[in-house]
Amino acid sequence: MRSGPGGSPELIRVRNLRGGYGKLLVLENVSMEVLEGEILLIVGRSGCGKTTLMNYLLGLARPWAGQILYRGSPLVFDGPSSLTAVRRRWGVLFQSGALLASLSLLENVALPLTEFTELDASEADLVAMSKLALVGLEEFADSLPLEVSGGMQKRAGLARALAMDPDVLFFDEPSAGLDPVTSGELDELIRRLNGDLGTTMVIVTHELASIFAVSDRVIMLDAEEKGIIAEGTAHQLRDSTGDERVSAFFNRRPVAGGAAR
Amino acid sequence: MGQRPSITIGRAGLTITGALSLSELEQLRDAFDSLAREPSEEVTVDLEGMEASMASAEAAIYGGLRKLRQAGARVMVRAAPDGFLERFEKLEKELCPEARPRLRSRTFSWFEDVGDSVLETSATLRGLAAFGINSLLSFARVVFGPGKLRWKEAFYYMEQAGVKAVPIISILCWLLGTVLGYMSGFQLRDFGAETFMPDLVGLSMVWEISPLLAAVIVAGRSGSAFAAELGTMKVRQEVDALEVMGFDVKGYLVVPKVVALLFVMPFLTLLADLFALLGGMLIGGWYLGMPPEIFVQRLAFVLLPIDFYWGMGKSLVYAVIVATVGCFMGMRVRGGAAEVGRSTTSAVVVSIFLVILADALIAILFMYVRPAVTV
Ligand SMILES: Nc1ncnc2c1ncn2[C@@H]1O[C@H](COP(=O)(O)OP(=O)(O)O)[C@@H](O)[C@H]1O
Ligand SMILES: [Mg+2]
Repeated sequence: MRSGPGGSPELIRVRNLRGGYGKLLVLENVSMEVLEGEILLIVGRSGCGKTTLMNYLLGLARPWAGQILYRGSPLVFDGPSSLTAVRRRWGVLFQSGALLASLSLLENVALPLTEFTELDASEADLVAMSKLALVGLEEFADSLPLEVSGGMQKRAGLARALAMDPDVLFFDEPSAGLDPVTSGELDELIRRLNGDLGTTMVIVTHELASIFAVSDRVIMLDAEEKGIIAEGTAHQLRDSTGDERVSAFFNRRPVAGGAAR
Repeated sequence: MGQRPSITIGRAGLTITGALSLSELEQLRDAFDSLAREPSEEVTVDLEGMEASMASAEAAIYGGLRKLRQAGARVMVRAAPDGFLERFEKLEKELCPEARPRLRSRTFSWFEDVGDSVLETSATLRGLAAFGINSLLSFARVVFGPGKLRWKEAFYYMEQAGVKAVPIISILCWLLGTVLGYMSGFQLRDFGAETFMPDLVGLSMVWEISPLLAAVIVAGRSGSAFAAELGTMKVRQEVDALEVMGFDVKGYLVVPKVVALLFVMPFLTLLADLFALLGGMLIGGWYLGMPPEIFVQRLAFVLLPIDFYWGMGKSLVYAVIVATVGCFMGMRVRGGAAEVGRSTTSAVVVSIFLVILADALIAILFMYVRPAVTV
């Protein structure tokens, strides 16, 4: 189920977002939308504010100004209630996997299930196991996060993000710290999940290979502009001649055969 | 090739001509040094004849100019090459801020430092207060409302903070009771008043020292551990992960720790009381020849049940302080692993400070509450 831009309804809309840290302005007047069912990549050089934007989208920090609408209604930061309800429909994979170190992989994946659903412990374990199988980790269900490799932690993090069958998956630098093969497998998994379940994906990355492998649409941020400098498909951006920064970023390395397509 | 380089010290300053190279550096440095030794009020450094030089020569001139400035001379640079002065001023600012023209006197900057730290402290306290209130709300939600308390975690922390603290608290309080009994007996004996030793040991330990000591030890062992644990989770984004999964992070991470300390602190305090009294009793028998039953009788006379309850009650306040401050300092970690270390230190220092502050306030209240015992 691939949906091109234009046809599908918007899931998240960002309006005139402004934000930063202390006196440092990072994002200025950012407006964008995430469409239902698409794989949206947010790209740009390090330090351009990708993680910052992601944190705003997730409601982990409050923007200085602007609005974020989720299915048409604004995220409310005061009072945990409504944000919490929305968040349970989200899955997030953090840069480090962010598994709870004191729980086994299975317990980590089962955590949201036991907490937020009516499933009893054994049912939750069953579901968690199937999610672990999805990322190929059923053999390591009882290992602690620090006992498995970084790539496995990340995959387990993905399994946890998938536990509640989310409407949207957010990824921060999914391929950071992974070898190219593992990173490729992760890209493959992302494509498959999007294809099979129609899950919307918002992925922050600066990994060219991933950008070409998975993206439906790409938004490029820039540190100087403090906002979006380009938007389109990966190939449009690579072939665009308008902005030097965009073509420089996308042509940094020759992409073999115009990428997996 | 250009003109032969030369460095001339004149009446009003220094003239540099030609293209300097490494071999002239020593000479250049000496020239500046000799000027700086007896600086006239105004020194002119004339670079008119200087040709494009090596970076090392330029650096030596920078160094010389700085030396002159520090010696108190007003330095004029004539005919500096393009960008030379800008580079110099920029370096000055970066390398030695104190060489900048003193807009602020030392006293002024002392006030500024004090002001900064007051602002920072008050921001921290406000943050702590907000955190405390939020945790209280989560606590209420979990204990009285719909939230689930994670008993497994709470028991774990009870064991860590309570059971494992038993040996050290017993030993320390036993020692303190002994020392206090010995010292006070030593003084009281001169007045033939050693029969009052149990009063002194009993009242001071049960009222003040045991609850405080228990709190200080728990702050050192567990307050710091809470800060380290949450700080590490913060660094590894585990806290963010919990938050975006829709967990009430405070209810999930903070409340079990608070509950655990609330359970164990009164018992640790009672334990501290008992060991302190035991210490006093033993030293009384050994050093003052006071039979244990006399010691106990005297204690039973001066100590009221409320004294024990009061100490245990106080320890509930300390439990909340230690747990909340520890968690707050952990959750405040933003940067990397280095900040975790700092947060554990602050957790201990701030919680001990607040515990003693609370103790002082409670002591005032106590004097109104406690019925007097006539000797
Ligand atoms: N917690 C923070 N405090 C202060 N500045 C920050 C913080 N996090 C990021 N920044 C700054 O904000 C800018 C954007 O950072 P970030 O969003 O992490 O970039 P990216 O994820 O695109 O590499 C950078 O200049 C970075 O130094
Ligand atoms: Mg980032």
